[in-house]
Amino acid sequence: MSLVWAQIRAIIRIEMKKTFFAKRGLWIYMLALAPVALFFAHSMIEIHEHGARRQMVLKSARPLTERDFLSISQGMSRADVIARLGEPPLSRSHSRRIRTGRNSYSRVEFETLRYSDGNNDLVLTLQDGTVHGIGRVSGVSLGQDSYVFAGVFQFFFVRLAIFFGCLGIFMNLFRGEMLDKSLHFYLLTPVRREVLMLGKYLAGLLAATVIFSTSTALQLIALLLDFDASTISQYLDQNHGLAQMAAYLGVTVLACIGYGSIFLAAGLLFRNPIVPAAAVLIWEAANPVLPALLKKFSVIYYLKSLCPVEISLDPGMPPLFALLASNPEPISRYIAIFGLLALSVLVLFAASKKVRRLEI
Amino acid sequence: MNDRIIFDNVSKFYGDVLGVNRVNLSIPPGITSLVGPNGSGKTTLMNLMTGLIRPSRGNIRILDLTPDQPEQLFRLVGYSTQYDSFPKGLTGYQCVSSYLRLYGFDRDRSEALTWAAIDRVGLREAAHRKAAGYSKGMRQRIRLAQSLAHNPRVLVLDEPLNGLDPLVRAETIALFRTLAKEGCHVILSSHVLHEVDIISDQVILMSAGYVAAEGNIQSVRSEIEDHPMQILIRCDRPGELASRFFAEDHVVEVRLHKDRHGLLVKTQAPDRFYLLMNRIALDGFAVESVAPCDDDVNSVYEYLIGTEEATR
Repeated sequence: MSLVWAQIRAIIRIEMKKTFFAKRGLWIYMLALAPVALFFAHSMIEIHEHGARRQMVLKSARPLTERDFLSISQGMSRADVIARLGEPPLSRSHSRRIRTGRNSYSRVEFETLRYSDGNNDLVLTLQDGTVHGIGRVSGVSLGQDSYVFAGVFQFFFVRLAIFFGCLGIFMNLFRGEMLDKSLHFYLLTPVRREVLMLGKYLAGLLAATVIFSTSTALQLIALLLDFDASTISQYLDQNHGLAQMAAYLGVTVLACIGYGSIFLAAGLLFRNPIVPAAAVLIWEAANPVLPALLKKFSVIYYLKSLCPVEISLDPGMPPLFALLASNPEPISRYIAIFGLLALSVLVLFAASKKVRRLEI
Repeated sequence: MNDRIIFDNVSKFYGDVLGVNRVNLSIPPGITSLVGPNGSGKTTLMNLMTGLIRPSRGNIRILDLTPDQPEQLFRLVGYSTQYDSFPKGLTGYQCVSSYLRLYGFDRDRSEALTWAAIDRVGLREAAHRKAAGYSKGMRQRIRLAQSLAHNPRVLVLDEPLNGLDPLVRAETIALFRTLAKEGCHVILSSHVLHEVDIISDQVILMSAGYVAAEGNIQSVRSEIEDHPMQILIRCDRPGELASRFFAEDHVVEVRLHKDRHGLLVKTQAPDRFYLLMNRIALDGFAVESVAPCDDDVNSVYEYLIGTEEATR
């Protein structure tokens, strides 16, 4: 047993260098960091907007509330608005010549008044001194942002980033080395083929887990970056924030375990990675419409039930997104974890049979 | 324990393509050469011996072990393939030491065995350079170091002298002889008949997937000697080198290569030719490689095995 463990450690040591520092793997890092960049950019914009909103509150004649905003209606005069909300912290005016007859024009004065209660903005458009349009700009809430995060996590991160990342990492473990003849290095040693496969799988899993879990953690940090300490503390302590974060990290690791095993096996069976990638992608997407038994042979079936925030099916949602988001038969967390691990073990067992008979 | 490598009616087909057919061999310790033109089945036979491929028919036993038991087989066998199978980014030293770690050797034992192997192939000075930056000959030597680092009883070497300069070639041949004297099986492949003549205790002549002849090398030596051998020499001053060859009576033809960075030399005495090459290397000529030309070698094969094939 100690020999097997020493061999696995030796394989992991060799594979880690190749997996982490391969030039051809650069795109995997980009794929993993894309959502981090997205949430970071979003947070930066929100921090800027929040600063602007705070400045407006400071410039306001008095603190405003939601009720003050609701008291404004169309047709009110500028004086009425000023009387209710005070002088606007931001205003802009311009005039426009409007055609009123065949050869007649009149000049109309437009003015935009902007108020803020610190979280939401009220934007009023006045035409010739009368309220003509009322607009609301809502600031983001952590609840909304975590919902958006859930969407990006399910639709992009798990289904595309981790999926293709694992394809790149795990398919190369055997297939890439068969093509460049470097698999001889391992096959000419006294390592059982099954041990070799396990060592390579663990090395790939370690690399994929580090890359994608780091990405998930950075995404969550970027998500929280534009909220103040009390909001974050409330989210973490009272609104299951910590549990959600742990769930996202857990789903990331389980996705690497599941897709890793599938693509390692695919690397032993297929020369061209496009064929298994397309087949598995379609199989995963079609999961909600598969018969109950076949559903269980899909990674996403288990992951969906483990995602902490469920994506609600809006009537206006495009059909493809609705199909991807739907989870008609949610299963319990423990069954999902056990089921995914069992599926991975099954796939790895089949791969070990293949690797035992492998000829190069 | 049986000390022989036994092929019992072994055939290997790649779909409809014949790899080797009906091979029956019993190889004793010593230096055994598999000789044959490209595509004759030499590498297939070596891959079968080491379990990289499986026979379609028949059985193989390596000192009483079967090739599908890598965990036992590679304790006794070392195989140097034609390919650079090193993981990317490793130095020569790391290639050998990480290979030994896969055997389960601890760090100290791996280090000792690695240096011993590297010293045997004379690569100590370049050991900490990246293997990817090695010359063809150095890569050949580090592969050899890797295959013999764990002190195997059977050493399988695919074209081990290819790309070596004359001095290193002579040292490597001496190493094979030492290993053979120690009781090791050294099985090497070559398409260079003259190399076989110098090195081997026994020879297996392969042709189109069949064993055309096997036995003591003496029996084919006289036939080889009658046939001039053509050799391509890659060097920095081919013009000057050509004048050295013209002075030798065993050289029957010298031609400048098309790219003007090499010479094609035809000799009737390969022994004397290789001795001359050693002197030339010592005289300061930068000889990059010395390799017999395939076309010429193939013609020798035709000469040697034509009758055999005709009778099959």
